[in-house]
Amino acid sequence: MKKKVLSTLLAAAMVFSLTACGGKDEGTADNTNNTPASQEAPAENNDAEAPAESNDAEAPADAEAPADIDYGSGTITIWVAENVVDFTQTKCTEFFEANPAMAGYTVTVEPVGEGDAAGNMITDVEGGADIFGFAQDQITRLVSSGALCPVVGDNASFVDTQNDAGAASAAKVGDMTYAYPMTSDNGYFLYYDKSVVTDPTSLEKIVADCEAAGKSFYFEINSGWYQPAFFFATGCTLTYDTDDNGNFTACNIDYASDKGLVALKEITEFQSSSAFQNGSNASNATNFAAIVSGTWDADVIKGVFGDNYACAKLPSFEGSDGNTYQLSGFGGFKLLGIKPQTDEGKLAVCHALAQFLTNTDTQLARYQAVAWGPSNLTAQQDAAVQADEALSALAEQLANTIPQGNYPGDYWTLATALGDDVIAGTLSTSSSDEDLMTALENFQQTCISYAQ
Amino acid sequence: MKSMKTKRAIGNGITYVFLIVLSIIWLFPFVCLFLQSFRSYNENGGGMVEYLLPKTFSLDSYKWLFSGESQFVRWYMNTLIIAIFVSILQTIVVLCVSYALSRMRFKGRTFLMRFWLILGMFPGFLTMICLYFLLKQFGLTQEGAIPGLILISVASSGMGYYVTKGYFDTIPRALDEAARIDGASRARVFFTMIIPMSKPIIIYAALVAFMNPWCDYVFASYVAFGHSKSYNVAVAMQRWLWTGDYQGYFTRFCAGGILIAIPVTILFMCLQKYYVEGVTGGAVKG
Amino acid sequence: MGKNANSDGVKKKEQSSVGKFFSWLGNDLKEIVLTFTEGDWKSRVSYLIMGFGPIMRKQFLRGFAFLAMEVLFVLYMVGFGWHYLKDVGTLGTVARVLNDNGTYTYNDDSFLILLYSILTIIVILAFILVWRMNLRENRNEEKLLKDGKPFPTVKQDLHSLLDSNFDKTLLTLPVLGIFIFTVLPIIFMICVAFTDYDKNHQPPTNLFSWVGLENFKNLFTFGSTTAGASTFGSTFLIVLSWTLIWAFFATFLTYFCGMGVAIMINKKGIKFKKLWRTILVMTIAVPQFVSLLYVGKMFANDGLINSYLMKWGWISERIPFWSDPVLSKIAIIVVNLWVGIPYTMLIMTGLLMNIPEDLYESARIDGANGLQMFKSITLPYMFFVTGPFLLTQFTGNINNFNIIYLLNQGGPTSLALTNKAGYTDLLVTWLYKMTVNDTNYRMAAVLGIAVFVVVAGISLVVYNMLPSVKDEEGFQ
Repeated sequence: MKKKVLSTLLAAAMVFSLTACGGKDEGTADNTNNTPASQEAPAENNDAEAPAESNDAEAPADAEAPADIDYGSGTITIWVAENVVDFTQTKCTEFFEANPAMAGYTVTVEPVGEGDAAGNMITDVEGGADIFGFAQDQITRLVSSGALCPVVGDNASFVDTQNDAGAASAAKVGDMTYAYPMTSDNGYFLYYDKSVVTDPTSLEKIVADCEAAGKSFYFEINSGWYQPAFFFATGCTLTYDTDDNGNFTACNIDYASDKGLVALKEITEFQSSSAFQNGSNASNATNFAAIVSGTWDADVIKGVFGDNYACAKLPSFEGSDGNTYQLSGFGGFKLLGIKPQTDEGKLAVCHALAQFLTNTDTQLARYQAVAWGPSNLTAQQDAAVQADEALSALAEQLANTIPQGNYPGDYWTLATALGDDVIAGTLSTSSSDEDLMTALENFQQTCISYAQ
Repeated sequence: MKSMKTKRAIGNGITYVFLIVLSIIWLFPFVCLFLQSFRSYNENGGGMVEYLLPKTFSLDSYKWLFSGESQFVRWYMNTLIIAIFVSILQTIVVLCVSYALSRMRFKGRTFLMRFWLILGMFPGFLTMICLYFLLKQFGLTQEGAIPGLILISVASSGMGYYVTKGYFDTIPRALDEAARIDGASRARVFFTMIIPMSKPIIIYAALVAFMNPWCDYVFASYVAFGHSKSYNVAVAMQRWLWTGDYQGYFTRFCAGGILIAIPVTILFMCLQKYYVEGVTGGAVKG
Repeated sequence: MGKNANSDGVKKKEQSSVGKFFSWLGNDLKEIVLTFTEGDWKSRVSYLIMGFGPIMRKQFLRGFAFLAMEVLFVLYMVGFGWHYLKDVGTLGTVARVLNDNGTYTYNDDSFLILLYSILTIIVILAFILVWRMNLRENRNEEKLLKDGKPFPTVKQDLHSLLDSNFDKTLLTLPVLGIFIFTVLPIIFMICVAFTDYDKNHQPPTNLFSWVGLENFKNLFTFGSTTAGASTFGSTFLIVLSWTLIWAFFATFLTYFCGMGVAIMINKKGIKFKKLWRTILVMTIAVPQFVSLLYVGKMFANDGLINSYLMKWGWISERIPFWSDPVLSKIAIIVVNLWVGIPYTMLIMTGLLMNIPEDLYESARIDGANGLQMFKSITLPYMFFVTGPFLLTQFTGNINNFNIIYLLNQGGPTSLALTNKAGYTDLLVTWLYKMTVNDTNYRMAAVLGIAVFVVVAGISLVVYNMLPSVKDEEGFQ
């Protein structure tokens, strides 16, 4: 009985080991806080880095990274999509070869997809990557939860001057720049099978062709990203205003209107076709002759359609009011962000590296490697980029889209709910105008409620 | 009597038909999975198709899994390591707890059992985020995810003592008493008598513990937190179907699935006898 | 009547256990005082310096153990615990700061403050327990001295850990593991239910703080908001009712179907029993994330099943297995049969063979047919034996995450539901979505507590009705 002493001792030992770990963690946190101070101390390896200056001409990043600073050392984790992991790794090696002053850092590139990256960053900023790629729709969420470090000064003007206007504004929340644009191809357009689809300019005709051939037409109407193609086509708006900290201040929406009704009716009409399939992932799509998706699916779709592969801007449709509307949608961007750093040296390296990974040469090389459409103005002028079939279809479509601004995370859920209601038949071609209007009213009010 | 016989024969016939239909239903998805894993990558770009029989058979997907392009082998080994450690350690913990609760009467015993019963009523996902940060304090996330996962699975396994304790309860206490009169200590009784007598239940406990890590993707993906070297197969592979980044991974998923299913299934089939024994005993004892 | 009696019984039990607790506390306090008044000066010093008495009485192992505990405790509190515990009221006041050079400094972290405060409180309670043991040790030693008996030697102490105190050796680590990795997180999450820990209050960037019962109020707001959208409360009711409906069908359908299959396989004259069993058991052996993910894709709108049915002309329109609210519920229950029947079948096989054959013999002599025998012998027997199994199955199904999430992620969603919930979401899958996709930990914690209440409530009611669990010792 008295041997409780021993067992309790054991317990105490465990508690203490826990404490010790916690304590250690604090210690390291302190260390990192202290490091900026150590920068004032003269850097011993000044002389060794002198040759680095000769590289200035090549990479614009170098211009802002004088070689006589001690950047310290450490590891930098980068999260990018699976298919660019190797590419990014190679580019990082190039970067450190060109900037020996920063070579104290080693880079780990991990395949973490854009969606997962944002989710993880929000869950645990400290555990997250230092540099991470994400789709533009995540930016406000990331900013408001403190997972993005502002891009200021020369870095901000790099973003503004080097990239197309849409990309530059996509990297902003309020008036503050928060990321480096990586691609400007985050939009969608139509892929189709030439042997089945005779006229890719009309939604009705594509549907009819697919029905006749017993093939499917994929369009992800329950996604907040694809769905607005219909609503924006009829002239509806849905945008949010934000302040610099990623808080939503106002919502500009007019879905609950006659225009919105026409769009929703068209969605239900489209959904009622036997050719319609909800989805945009070419890899999971079966037996299709047309699919609305982005450039990332080009390879798979080429594999499926073979010689009949073709792409075009989205079709137009004839609304219930007799007018013809060109499908619109979002033009979006992929961005590279840096998480808030505690170490000044590392912060500088991260910015330089992110710039390097989004500069003209890298964007071009990335296009050549994995066909991601550049956001860099110079790279966009490249002959190969100009000639790319998918990218030109996208460019054509982008003329009809609105640049994607900032949307609250709840909007995407809500749009899925609206789409699911259509697919489940709760809202269908047989629904009365009042029912559809009630749904739109509900949708609109809920959207507005997110901005408070 | 004759009519009885024909009646029985008809009855058996119907039963056979029924069993055959059931078997087809039960095996169908696995057959599909198996067939799809052999579809050539060039056919539909590795995506999903709406037909059953591949038009061209090939080992593309398997080759890819074992090629340098994929970390599949590493993930597989990770899972195997986790499964083996969890299986051994969890069985030890469960045996200790079960013996103490079955054979010893100490202060707080019923309290402990009730308390654990109540704890078990909280959904596991509730504490996921807290466990993640707790493990992070120990440095057992990302690079350390594998020991971290083992620790988490083993640490709370004491609460799953029901089946084993039920089994111990069926071993007559008179045997213990006799040994104790002969001067054997509790520990001696436990190690030299109870454990050798409990082979079936030990195998059952180890088998169940071994199989669980193969399906753990929720918490495992939390703990690995983007560090691909510490993924287990479930974390890595569910992405292939769910995330748009992974285009053309469907046949690879099927191939990977087959590679996971075969050894686990074979092991299970070999030890089925013990599993049945454990499951039956456990069900009755609650 | 029966119900009343039951709840009365429970109440009585509670009262008596509360009473017991207070009388125990009273006795304990009395003993603490007695140890002081009746004890010698060595014991009295031990009130402040733990282990002083035993050390003076040359019980060095115990004495120094106590002393070490006290030193460790003080070190812990000064160096660590107090640092967090002092902030538990506010959960931190200084959030992240942006420095002039563009770097950030992280300050208070509400998460760690709350976590370590809970830990510290547990440590303090444990210390009080040790302190109490220290007093008892002193009293016992004085008693042994008075009676002129020898103190136990170190060897005896150690040996007892393998014999009379073997339970402590066996249980220390498992109990400790459960404390740190189960109890501590659960207490933490229960506390989170009373804070505003969500995406806008995510440490270490932002802080979260106590909000009282606000989250529970949110859970109990029913009807619809002014915008016409569903409130959290009404969505909760929809999800909760589906959770219960699901658990009911999932449990009883697999139970009866599994029994049916087991009876078929075990029927006299059926050959290849082992083969049938092995085929069915495949679903247990193959990891669910492989089989269920694949089956989910099979039943998709554009999946294998629909495509073949179309091809053969059996249907003209695709069956929306996962996108129709009602159909997807049915589909999930049916797929669950595929997963659940083998498991039940295995259990039933064992049990069916245990039914005494002479019961059937005598029934047969009385002229009973198969159905009658099933109704009056097999079923009652099975129900009696598998009562606890049914209960655990039921509560297990309430928490059955895999089947729902791997098949269709709880979809389809609807404007009629809020917070990402779909029509086939169970409380746990909804909880998961809130934790992982939404980082809405405050409501996730509330949902977790709700699941607990549901499971505990059902268990309590059913448990008291079960005949076979009344007397635990009865099994032995």
